[in-house]
Amino acid sequence: MLIAGLIVAAFLGPLFVWRKSDSPSVARYGIASAAAVVGAAVTPIGMGQCAFAEETSGVDHVLAWALMAGGAWLALIITQSVFDKLDGKKTGGGGVAGEIRTGGYRMGWWVPWLLLSPTLIILAVFLYTPAIQTFTLSSKLTRLGAPRSKDVCFGNFSELLITDPVRLVAYPLLAIGFIYAARLWVTRSTPDTWSRRGADITSVVAMLSAFVAFYAMFSAGGGGQVAYRPVYLNTVIISVGIVVFGMVGGLAIAYLAFRQIKGGGVYRTLLIWPYAISPAVAGLLFFMIFDPNAGIFTYTMESWFGIDVPNYRESAILAQMAIILASSWKIIGYNILFYLAGLQTVSIDQVEASLIDGASARQRFTKIVLPALSPITFFLLVTNLTYAFFEVYGTIDFMTKGAPAGKTSVAIYEIIRVGVNNGDLGRGAAQSVLLFLAVIGVTLWQFRTSGERVSYGGS
Amino acid sequence: MKYRLMVLAAAIALVAAACGGGADATTTTAADAGGGTPAATEAPGGGEPIDIDFWVAFSDEKRLGFAQDRAAEFNAAHPEYNVKVTSFASYNDVFDAAVLAVDSGEPPALIHFFEAATRQALDAVDSSGNKIFKSVTEAIGGRTEILGEPVVLDNVVSAARDYYTIDGELFSMPWNTSSTVLLSNMDILNAAGVTKPPETWGEVTAACEKVMAMTDAPSGCISWPNHSWFAEQSLGQQGELLANNDNGRSGRATEVFLNSKGMIDYVSWWKDLADKGYYTYTGQQRDWGGVDSAYLAGELAMMVDSSSDTVIHTEEAKDLGFELLASFMPRNENVPYVGNLIGGATIWMLDGMDTTKEDGALAFMNFFSNPENAAAWHQLTGYVPITEDAVDLLNAEGWYEAEPNAKVASDQLAAAANTPASLGALIGNFVGIRDILTIAIEDILVNDLDVATRLGQANEEANKSLSEYESLFGN
Amino acid sequence: MKGLAPGVRQKTFFRGRRWPYHIGLTITALIIAFPLLYAMLVATQTNAETYAFQFTPGSALAKNFEAVWVKRDFAGAMWNSLQQAILVTTGKTVLSLLAGLAFVYFKFRGKWIVFGLVLITLMMPTEVMILAMFRLVGGFGWQDTMAALVVPFLASATGAFLFRQHFANMPTELLEASQIDGASPVQFLLKVLIPLSWNVIAALFVIQFVYTWNMFLWPSLIIRDESKQVVQAALQTLTNIDGSLNFGPLMLAAVLASIPPGLVFILMQKPFMSGFAVGQDK
Repeated sequence: MLIAGLIVAAFLGPLFVWRKSDSPSVARYGIASAAAVVGAAVTPIGMGQCAFAEETSGVDHVLAWALMAGGAWLALIITQSVFDKLDGKKTGGGGVAGEIRTGGYRMGWWVPWLLLSPTLIILAVFLYTPAIQTFTLSSKLTRLGAPRSKDVCFGNFSELLITDPVRLVAYPLLAIGFIYAARLWVTRSTPDTWSRRGADITSVVAMLSAFVAFYAMFSAGGGGQVAYRPVYLNTVIISVGIVVFGMVGGLAIAYLAFRQIKGGGVYRTLLIWPYAISPAVAGLLFFMIFDPNAGIFTYTMESWFGIDVPNYRESAILAQMAIILASSWKIIGYNILFYLAGLQTVSIDQVEASLIDGASARQRFTKIVLPALSPITFFLLVTNLTYAFFEVYGTIDFMTKGAPAGKTSVAIYEIIRVGVNNGDLGRGAAQSVLLFLAVIGVTLWQFRTSGERVSYGGS
Repeated sequence: MKYRLMVLAAAIALVAAACGGGADATTTTAADAGGGTPAATEAPGGGEPIDIDFWVAFSDEKRLGFAQDRAAEFNAAHPEYNVKVTSFASYNDVFDAAVLAVDSGEPPALIHFFEAATRQALDAVDSSGNKIFKSVTEAIGGRTEILGEPVVLDNVVSAARDYYTIDGELFSMPWNTSSTVLLSNMDILNAAGVTKPPETWGEVTAACEKVMAMTDAPSGCISWPNHSWFAEQSLGQQGELLANNDNGRSGRATEVFLNSKGMIDYVSWWKDLADKGYYTYTGQQRDWGGVDSAYLAGELAMMVDSSSDTVIHTEEAKDLGFELLASFMPRNENVPYVGNLIGGATIWMLDGMDTTKEDGALAFMNFFSNPENAAAWHQLTGYVPITEDAVDLLNAEGWYEAEPNAKVASDQLAAAANTPASLGALIGNFVGIRDILTIAIEDILVNDLDVATRLGQANEEANKSLSEYESLFGN
Repeated sequence: MKGLAPGVRQKTFFRGRRWPYHIGLTITALIIAFPLLYAMLVATQTNAETYAFQFTPGSALAKNFEAVWVKRDFAGAMWNSLQQAILVTTGKTVLSLLAGLAFVYFKFRGKWIVFGLVLITLMMPTEVMILAMFRLVGGFGWQDTMAALVVPFLASATGAFLFRQHFANMPTELLEASQIDGASPVQFLLKVLIPLSWNVIAALFVIQFVYTWNMFLWPSLIIRDESKQVVQAALQTLTNIDGSLNFGPLMLAAVLASIPPGLVFILMQKPFMSGFAVGQDK
């Protein structure tokens, strides 16, 4: 199995170079082939080939192949960027790193290193080291204070997934195929035709199918498997809810507050202050409001409107909505702040032109303001998503603690429950790796789509 | 050259500021930490008193304050020692912190740790594989007095002694010990025509039927937190084991029974109450606060609660103006009653101290639960008086005549037969297994699942978890 | 702003009366403020008053304050948080300034690699490696110390890039002039760059202060000793006061915990906003 994978890698290497380069030489094909093999071989050999040992399942093999593919791909990207550099091209990271002034000081080589050393040391010790350790931990069965630990290879991962290797491979491939097909349709169709509209709708559906594919890949539990599907679903529902609620609300309020009126500055301050509130306090405030016995929400509903409100912590939908509400309340100030800044950049010429054309306020908003805000919207999308992935922990811990029946337990909450509260470090680390992959996916998507953009988020 | 030196100096100063700042901050806050305990600890000989760190998993002023006050008294009486009480948010916090502290070389002397994790504490080892804790019985070594403090370990009430006795000896010193009791709001029950608190499952259901039929019925009839401890209590009452090898007492438990008949019957009754709208689920696991809050708001006629708050709740009920009556936890009328078990925590002593320090720690532990202190602890909270002498003292004072509610837990424990079932289980990774059961019960209550099927799944999960634990910690 | 007078923009954008905006904004501001206002109300009440839904200030503010601030030493937690927030914010700003200086005004081998390594950390939030980090930092013996709350957060890719970008947009003549004067890089940083960067520093200060003050998950893992706990995690134990859930003191603590970041945010709002404008303007 391992050998087969390496042979495939040996062939894929030249293919990659052939697609990316203009004038590949035979030597480069050879180097690429070797690089792919090395990249693919590093992880399985590092893990003692455990995934291909006798007692492993088909799912383990799939994961091992995926890991080998990832290793080969990474090795090829590095190889290719070296080739590009040799050819005098700008490296792939150029768009992100931007134009850097080519230094003014001519001093000892060590001076810049000295200036950078505190940053680099801290990043190495407190980010890179634990990141690597997360991966090593994820292949172990271990507990805090345990006298020994056991290697379980991909066991912590495969128990989160469905047990049928064929479907595990088929689902993502189907989704990818669908997305590519939709994209192809979009490029082939002419704008402003029904065909293009159909293609646009299809590509949105295709993107959604990726979510469904992940859902189908995770295990529903039973038979010794861990039910990770609900966690995934909770994470998607709560994150999407927070992002949509927070951003639509933020934009609406920002648009309202953009007009210069007397006391505008005071209004703005009154609108954006929840940015300073912590997710934990946000959770506490809404915990109070929605408390079934002492909360004002239940009381008002019952005594003013005669509506008998069930305890939100007993209903999955209500609990998720409560979390979304509390979280988007906290993030909305941040979104208003950025949208206010973004509205300043809307092109005044276009607005004027549209006025001359006699466009309605709604048309002006959808045709001019929204497109002009799209970079900021995109930036907010990513920061809001990060917030919804991680910061929501504090809110959940105070409001529901994952209740009812785990329906508000999102990925980060589950990591802490499994890894800290139950002390199961290996499983917690494996779930961390999944979340890590999700973050890498989102960030790469951000880099690809937006080029250079400074993040204002936490770290 | 000048540039270089400046840059270098700046960088060094920066790093130093970063690290040094951290260290400074630590020392200042450490000094603040002692604020709770008056530092009346001038050693007579002029020597520094020996620090005895006591890590406590309470943070509310009553319980933590009690520990701090006793430490201050002890320090005043024994100026050569300085017992320092440090507060932690939970038992797990104390334990994780202690394990890390052992490895970093600055362990506390005593930690406060709970009953369900007894096996985990016994199994705990440091990075070189040595056991972290030392048996208190062994350390006392038959002495009847340590540094002038009479040893009370032999005087511990049997329910606690039996629970914590492993391989024939008490490994840790029992402190806060409670059982489950039924607290009834007699104003509501009387209004519904129920004159005395129900004793069995059937009586609870019947009483609830009457309560909920009232025109001004509360929003629910009964509640208790979804905590595995209640299910364990129920198994003890019904005489069923939670784990093999006599609940892990005649050998390491290697199998758990989360879907035994007793468990299924108990959860089915629970679900039936919930389905009829009699049982109010707060929606959260281990939600002591939520149940209290609903009960005190008059939204419930009854709650099953830890006796640890009986005295507190009785006072609160007086303030709120209703009559609160404590009684035994309702039992299954279809099987003979075997016995309820304890819950709570003990004080564990860390291994590796020199004799002088160890004796100080032992003396403090025995002082801490001397008859006066044990009685005061009971009167403050409702935890059972932990020694026989404390019970005698309370009787002599006439305490129980004034506060009959306070006696219920002790009576219930005294009524229990001494069998492995009613002693409760010692299981590896019990905390994780409890979590599995709690989740399953929540799933059953909220999602209306079949009791036997869902408990079967939980049982499978729990046994997997246990076998993994045993493969890491077992022999 | 693109050099256009705000009045002109406004006229182009908006027509019609102003009072609907006043009404709309007032209502929105009230809705947004409601949770905090309600918490302030409850903070003055006893449990009985809260359960009775009394909408006037209660009788227990002093008692609740004593319960939280004195008996449970919330003051200590606030002090710990303040130390942490100031140390992290200051350290991060200094380190980011130095890194920005190195990236913009120096040419050195391996710059691309270093830049890339710092850049990659943008997609490595602490939370995804929190278990390993807990083991690592615990292994240093740093549990229950301020070091654990500060040191891991001193380096910041965000800050380094923010300053790098800001410095790169500055005129080259600055450096040339300072070199003619014979100033060292550190002097250049102190005398020229920092005075021109206050907006960015202020913006970073607000973001980092709020971020650090609001930290919850990490302190609740690495700080177990309650006397060393920071505000957000200390709130957790306040859900049990006197043996049960007491809303008054709990809400009071929530309000108190929000004062410092709120104050920083409101007081520094102007430089914060203009710092953002610098960040936006490319």
